[in-house]
Amino acid sequence: MAVLLMGKSGSGKTSMRSIIFANYIARDTRRLGATIDVEHSHVRFLGNLVLNLWDCGGQDTFMENYFTSQRDNIFRNVEVLIYVFDVESRELEKDMHYYQSCLEAILQNSPDAKIFCLVHKMDLVQEDQRDLIFKEREEDLRRLSRPLECACFRTSIWDETLYKAWSSIVYQLIPNVQQLEMNLRNFAQIIEADEVLLFERATFLVISHYQCKEQRDIHRFEKISNIIKQFKLSCSKLAASFQSMEVRNSNFAAFIDIFTSNTYVMVVMSDPSIPSAATLINIRNARKHFEKLERVDGPKHSLLMR
Amino acid sequence: VGGVCRVGWGTGPPLLQVPEDFISRELFDTVQVYVITKPELQNKLITVTAMEKKLIGCPVCIEHKKYSRNALLFNLGFVCDARAKACALEPIVKKLAGYLTTLELESGFISNKESKQKLVPIMTILLEELNAKGKCTLPIDESNTIHLKVIEQRPDPPIVQEYDVPVFTQNKDDFFNSQWDLTTQQILPYIDGFRHVQKISAEADVELNLVRIAVQNLLYYGVVTLVSILQYSNVYCTTPKVQDVVDDKCLQEECLSYVTKPGHKRASLRDVFQLYCGLSPGTTVRDLISRYTLQLQRVDERRLIQFGLMKGLIRRLQKYPVKVAQDERSLPARLYTGCHSYDEICCKTGMSYKELDERLENDPNIIVCWK
Repeated sequence: MAVLLMGKSGSGKTSMRSIIFANYIARDTRRLGATIDVEHSHVRFLGNLVLNLWDCGGQDTFMENYFTSQRDNIFRNVEVLIYVFDVESRELEKDMHYYQSCLEAILQNSPDAKIFCLVHKMDLVQEDQRDLIFKEREEDLRRLSRPLECACFRTSIWDETLYKAWSSIVYQLIPNVQQLEMNLRNFAQIIEADEVLLFERATFLVISHYQCKEQRDIHRFEKISNIIKQFKLSCSKLAASFQSMEVRNSNFAAFIDIFTSNTYVMVVMSDPSIPSAATLINIRNARKHFEKLERVDGPKHSLLMR
Repeated sequence: VGGVCRVGWGTGPPLLQVPEDFISRELFDTVQVYVITKPELQNKLITVTAMEKKLIGCPVCIEHKKYSRNALLFNLGFVCDARAKACALEPIVKKLAGYLTTLELESGFISNKESKQKLVPIMTILLEELNAKGKCTLPIDESNTIHLKVIEQRPDPPIVQEYDVPVFTQNKDDFFNSQWDLTTQQILPYIDGFRHVQKISAEADVELNLVRIAVQNLLYYGVVTLVSILQYSNVYCTTPKVQDVVDDKCLQEECLSYVTKPGHKRASLRDVFQLYCGLSPGTTVRDLISRYTLQLQRVDERRLIQFGLMKGLIRRLQKYPVKVAQDERSLPARLYTGCHSYDEICCKTGMSYKELDERLENDPNIIVCWK
C-alpha cells in the first residue's frame, strides 16, 4: 500500500517529506537537490505502521514516464495520493493537466485511494489574500476531481499549516483510530481535563484528540505540533532529548509528556485546584493501559509493505 | 556512429539531439534512468543497448548552491547501432565529460543561456568529424580547444616469455627511437631477431621483467613479432600458410628479398620453396643444411627460418619432457609436466640444450613429447 507524493518539479514534495519524517527544519530544506525518478522511503509510524512513501520527481520527463511506461507500477495499490500544487506556479494549465492524468490513472488502478491536494508555499502569498486564493483553488480542484473526492489544504513549510495537512492525511491511515479516541475520551473525563491530545512520537503529528469545551483557536493543534517539534529538534541539537514540559498560569495548566513507546500526550487542565502531581500520576497510570492497546492492535493492523 | 545527445535540467529542452529526433521519444523514456541518473551511477561510463540502438554516456553532477535545485546534471553521449563495437568511443565520452565539467566550472558554459546555444553546433561538428576522419579538433572559445581521437582497440598481446625472440616486422631504421620510453630505447639495439629476451636483458643490462614488458608493448603496437630461439638442433614443420609464398606475389617479393644472402643474386622461388618444404618433424636445421646445400647457396638459412616464423609459414616443434614415474634422484619435477619446453627449462635453469638433452635422454622416468 503506497502513499504517492506527486506534483510538478520544485513544488516542495521532498522538502515536506523531510520536515515531517526526517527531522529537517524548514531552513535545512534549502540544501535539497532535485529528486531523480522516484525516491522510496519506508517510514515507521506509530511503531508498527509502515508508510511506503513514494516521492516522485516532478520533472516533465519523469512525469510523462509515470503516465506511460511506468503507469501500472506507480498507480497500483495506492492508498493515498498527495498532490502538491505550487501556489505561485505560472503554468496552471499544465499543472491541472498533470493532476488530471494522475486522477485518471488512479481511477483505473486504485479507485479507492484517498486524495489530498496541498496548495503549497502559501507564505509567498500576501497574508490578506491567502484565504481568497485558497478558496478559489479549492473550488477548482474539487470540480476538476469529480467523480473522485479530494480534501484540500493550504500549506507552507514556514508555519503550522504543514502539520494540519499531514496530520489529516496520516489520520486516515491509522487503523484503530476510533478505539483510540474512545479511550482518550474516557481518560480525559476521568481526570477532568479540558482537552487531551495524542501525538505520534517522531513526527509530532496529532493523531487523536478529545475536547470537552469549545476552544477559541481552531488551529491550535497544528500550532502545538509545530512548536513542540521545533523545540524537540533544538533540544537534540544540544545532545539533549526532550521528555516533558509543564506550562501553567492562573487559568490553566498544560502537561506534555512521553506517553506510550510511540506517542506523546498533552493534557490541558483548567481547574487550578488540581495539583500537578495528581495529573502526572493519572497520566502515568493511563500509560500502561494505552501501551496495552497499542500492542494488542499492533500486528493485525500494520500496513503491509509493498 | 549516429547522433549525439545532451540532456540537462532546468529551463530549456531537456534533450538536445544531433541529428534531431535520432532517438525516438519511446527509446528515451526507456533509457532515461541511465542517462540522468541517481547519485550512485553518476560520473561513471554507462552503455545502454535498447531498441536496436546503443547509447554511451557519462552522467555528470555538479553540486553548487548557485544552481536552482542545488545541482547541475548533464550527460553528453553517443548513439550508434546496437551491433556496433563502441569501446573505442568510451575514452572519448569520458574525455568530453571532463571537458564539459571544466568548462562549466570555469565559465558556466552549460548553464549560461548564451553559451548553451553553442552546444548544438559543437555537437554537429563533433559528429561529422568523428564519423568522417576519426578525429576532431574543436575550438570552443578563445582559451579552450577540444581534441578528440577515436583510437582503435587492439587485442591484448600475449605474455612475453624469457625464451621468446622479438624480431622487427618493419625495417628497424624506420623507427624514431626518441619517441619511445627509456627502457625500450635501451633494448632496441639488441633486438635482432636472434637474441631472446633473457639474453637481451643480460646484454642491455636491463632487468628481465622490464624487458618483457617493453617487448610486450612493442608487440601490442605491431612493431615486433615473436619467434623462437634459433638453434641448429631446432625442428620445424610447415603450416598450410606456406602455400601463400607461391600464391601471394607480395609475400613472395618480401620473402625473397628477406632471405637472400647479402651481396648475392636474388634467390629463386623454387629454391626457397623447396627449403621450406624440406622442414618436417624429425629434420633439424642442421639436417636441412646438409641435404640442401645447393639451394642454400644464395639463401641465409637463419633469415629463412626467421621469415617463415614471422609470417606463420612454418612453426617450431618444441620438446616437452614429462615425468612418468616418481624418483627422488632426478631434478625438480615441477618443470617436467609436459607444459614446459626445453627452451623454457634451459632459460630457467641455465643449462645448455645439450646438457639438458643428455640428462633427460638417460632418465628412464622421463618421456619427451614433441608438439
